Amino acid sequence: MWWRGCWKSCFVLALHLVAASAQGELFDEDLTLRPLRDGRLEARFSFTTLLKGASPRDPESLRQDDEAQHYTLFPLALGQILREHAVTELHLTLNAGKWNYDHWGYPDEPGVGTGAELWAWMGDTSLTSVDQRWQGLRQSLAGLFCASLGHLDDQRTTSPTLTFQPEGSLPNFTYPHQLRHATLPSEHVCTENLTPFLKLLPCKSLSGIAHLLNPHRVFDADWHGLGVHVRYRERIGVEVRLAFQAVLDPVRYSHDGRRDWSLRSVFDRIVEKACPVARSSKVQVELPGETSYTLSPGPTDVVNDMATYELTSAQEALDVAMKWPGENSFVYPDTSQVPPLTDISVRRNLKGASQAEARLTIEVTNNLPVQVKSGYLETMPWHLQFYLHTLRAYIDDSQRDDLVTILSYAPPVPHSRPALLQAVLTLPPRSTLRLTMDVSKPFLRYTEHPPDAQRGWDLPPAVLVPFAFGEDDSPEFETSASHEANSTWTQEREPYPRRPSRARRIYTPVMLVDLATPDFSMPYNVIIMSCTLIALIFGSVFNLLTRRFVVVRVDSDPATPDVNSVGGVADSVGGTGAAKKTS
Amino acid sequence: MANQHQDPAQLCFENVRTRRLIIASYWVVVLLAIPLWWKTTSIERLSLPTSRVRAQRSKELRFPVNVDIGALHADDDAPIAKHIGAALQQDPLQVAESGVDVRVQVGLTSEAAYRVVLDREVREPAIEGRELHIPTDYDTTHKEALKETLEKLLAPYESSTLLSHTQRVMKYSPRYRLAFTLLNEDAASGNAAMAWEVQAAIQGHIGPLLEKLSDLHNFTIESQVQFHAPLAFEPRLVQHEGRGVHGLTHEDLTVFINSAEWTLSSSVSNDPVIHFVLFVPSAKNSPLHILDQQGSIHPSNAFLLPQWGGIVLLNPSQGSPIPRLSTSDLSPIFNTFAHQLLTLLGVPGLPPNVRAARRPDSPAQREPFTDWELDALLRRRALENVQSSTETLEAIVRLVDQIENMPVGQDVVGDIEDALDALNEAHESSRTSPVETLKHSARALTLASRAFFNPGMLALLYFPAEHTYAVYTPLFASVAAPLIGAVIREVVAWRKARKEAAAAAATAKTHGQPRESVAQEMSRKAD
Repeated sequence: MWWRGCWKSCFVLALHLVAASAQGELFDEDLTLRPLRDGRLEARFSFTTLLKGASPRDPESLRQDDEAQHYTLFPLALGQILREHAVTELHLTLNAGKWNYDHWGYPDEPGVGTGAELWAWMGDTSLTSVDQRWQGLRQSLAGLFCASLGHLDDQRTTSPTLTFQPEGSLPNFTYPHQLRHATLPSEHVCTENLTPFLKLLPCKSLSGIAHLLNPHRVFDADWHGLGVHVRYRERIGVEVRLAFQAVLDPVRYSHDGRRDWSLRSVFDRIVEKACPVARSSKVQVELPGETSYTLSPGPTDVVNDMATYELTSAQEALDVAMKWPGENSFVYPDTSQVPPLTDISVRRNLKGASQAEARLTIEVTNNLPVQVKSGYLETMPWHLQFYLHTLRAYIDDSQRDDLVTILSYAPPVPHSRPALLQAVLTLPPRSTLRLTMDVSKPFLRYTEHPPDAQRGWDLPPAVLVPFAFGEDDSPEFETSASHEANSTWTQEREPYPRRPSRARRIYTPVMLVDLATPDFSMPYNVIIMSCTLIALIFGSVFNLLTRRFVVVRVDSDPATPDVNSVGGVADSVGGTGAAKKTS
Repeated sequence: MANQHQDPAQLCFENVRTRRLIIASYWVVVLLAIPLWWKTTSIERLSLPTSRVRAQRSKELRFPVNVDIGALHADDDAPIAKHIGAALQQDPLQVAESGVDVRVQVGLTSEAAYRVVLDREVREPAIEGRELHIPTDYDTTHKEALKETLEKLLAPYESSTLLSHTQRVMKYSPRYRLAFTLLNEDAASGNAAMAWEVQAAIQGHIGPLLEKLSDLHNFTIESQVQFHAPLAFEPRLVQHEGRGVHGLTHEDLTVFINSAEWTLSSSVSNDPVIHFVLFVPSAKNSPLHILDQQGSIHPSNAFLLPQWGGIVLLNPSQGSPIPRLSTSDLSPIFNTFAHQLLTLLGVPGLPPNVRAARRPDSPAQREPFTDWELDALLRRRALENVQSSTETLEAIVRLVDQIENMPVGQDVVGDIEDALDALNEAHESSRTSPVETLKHSARALTLASRAFFNPGMLALLYFPAEHTYAVYTPLFASVAAPLIGAVIREVVAWRKARKEAAAAAATAKTHGQPRESVAQEMSRKAD
């Protein structure tokens, strides 16, 4: 037995040496499991491949042939796309469902807007325009991920640089970088997107934690989404992070309404073997504050309420399970009693029954006892046009227009460009700011309607970025302590281990707008109607011009002496009876 | 009473002449509008240079080739050279079908492309550059053998069957992507190669080839490693020398590539890809060998998939994963890849009795292939390109002839004309430079296929004529009815009036003048 263990550890050592020597390419994978307070379970898979010493392609070099590309762990298909279009930083997310910020808190992956979202930073040279490369990038990614990213065309592309700052560093080219951002809320993520996603991983879904990504289960989750994030880290290299995030509901899966979960129960699979080329492979479980739970098997390490399982090749199959033995069935928390988990809560809706006009309302609630400043971004396709002069801000029905500052607005160009509205909202402590604005719904061209036109158009989510907390505008001020002091739940979960230092984006749910839809047999009706009118007018004019009028003399009869006068009237009229067309 | 109401027949617009003029003017407008309507609704169909395309068929690409026969030691062996030369001149080489016109000269002149040199230092025919060295005892008795060798060198491809030639060889493209993949069936099972020194191996084995082929093609190189690449079938377990080995039958080889699971292709460019796969079987399927027809193990562990690429199976000797395949490990594998690449690109290979000379700079290594082979390949590719671009152009002409409502825009005509120009240039340059000919022929091929696949030609292909009628009928039918009706009415009235006038005239003749006013009255009524 001892020998066997020794042999195994030698084997593991050999494998780790292998992974380390792989030409400066490193692969790390981890799975984070977080029980949520409404009984659900957030699972976040993160697969990071680092290409050491690499740097993004300089767009100036696009005119020459690219150097040969040799990859060991880095996904070749993605690498080729990045090189081909000289992309410095890329973020693609495909999500389905509505992220419930109030109950689930901030997501581990910030990009949770429903549908597809793609944004990229690219160097801007005169050689090939950024827009050309952006188009090529969209189409390449659409082909790679089997998603309708080709629809992210100029009608949806904006450049909101304040909200979407680069997450890595930008290489020091001699020219500036440009941002392109587009969202397609109606895109749905499904198995056909997950399959190419898994093929980008060095171990595919055959070993390592990616084996847990069982399409039958993860697409049954209440919320699920995948993301591809490429960034350049200066003096380190190019990093590709593939992420999959899902909110699963163990209460729904269980027969007796308990929230106990295990890898097998939520994914219907367990981690059978480690990925042999991963430098580190971890399963992390965030421990809930209550004490009445049990976690099996025993974790490798527990730091800050975070239990960690290190996966090694020698290990037996791993199935993490968490149980609440004292609980007969899970009791959902009363939503009116528990405070929201995020600093601010957002609701956005569209009111009005007319097909021509409506009113957009956005309600932002500050959950903190201090003033919060937040960026507000609306990238609206021209299917909804703002009347900016009707923008009003209210707090408890009293108008407070002074709370909306630094408003910038790029109006939409119908049929070609979306609107871009950015503003800074000042949110007084523990209050709700309500913004209203009248909008008009334009008429679309006949061919611009989607196949299911009556369903309406999905509008992309608005994005809020709270950046300054407290009366002074310093963004460094950290209020998490005071915030969490007010919430019993978060107090137990303190410290919040993965709270990033940068400002976090909050996406609103998507909206559906009902635009005036024509009867699609209209062109034929128009043809028939106008042809009938023309034929009628033509026929009458032509007949009047070519008709001949004659006098029909009615012979005078002694019995009816007045007949002459009758004939005289009749012949002047060109009417039916007496004046008769002869032919 | 009648005086109060004017007789409508007396009104200016009511007279017969005016009415007929009105009807006629309507018809004039209609008739004048027809050309305009025709022009605005017809499809743009520019005329194709059909006669020029047809004329291409009769043209043939000819490469004039001069072969000199001489002796290295002119004093002694010149008579033999002269003798052989004379014999070859009398009995010319049978290479005309491959587009080669050979002219044999005696004596080593400087401008000749190829030389046959009598060399005392060689025992068997050897090739050095564009020279074929033959031993001096190669006299007239070996004339037939020499003739055959020269034919094989100058036209190594079977001339009549182009298709059989291209079944294995990749279709011509100015640029190929070479994708090298190290595939581990299951790296977690323990039998695997984790990394490879691919750059050095490519540099050493593939690089010289690519350099030599640079006149024909450009290459983009990429490589990747995959750690999980399951097979789509179970290899057969056979007994060999007392132990169980896994074997691939001939049928297995045809389905070896599991394109659903292996991500070998990528989507960024349209260049054809030549794949080279080094496959490491999992511990379960190891060792893996190729079986021959009898079911025993074949000595080779490499095979070639026509027009796709080459595959080499690697069975690691030890049971644990190889951390890194070194250049020396990869050397035999990449030699195989290099050989497979040459086969896939159509490099013909030397006749069995001829060997390549050693490289002057590094005598240990032979040239990957000789200039004779490169020239033959150049000529062959040029010939094929010319042939297939001619065929494409003919196909366009046929297609446009067949489908009446296929639009032909200026870009299609422009591409076709450019392709024809490129073909002409290819024909012209074939006298001087095969490389130029190949370049022109490749351009012709690109332009011809671009014209063939022009999306504009599909625009109205599926817009049926019935649709047009359905749109026009509600307008045209309702407008045409009164117009035609009016004409018929007028014609009938006119003929009736003429008949009555004739009848009245006849009556007047018999009954005399007094009846004339009655006849006039009647004729007016008839109008």
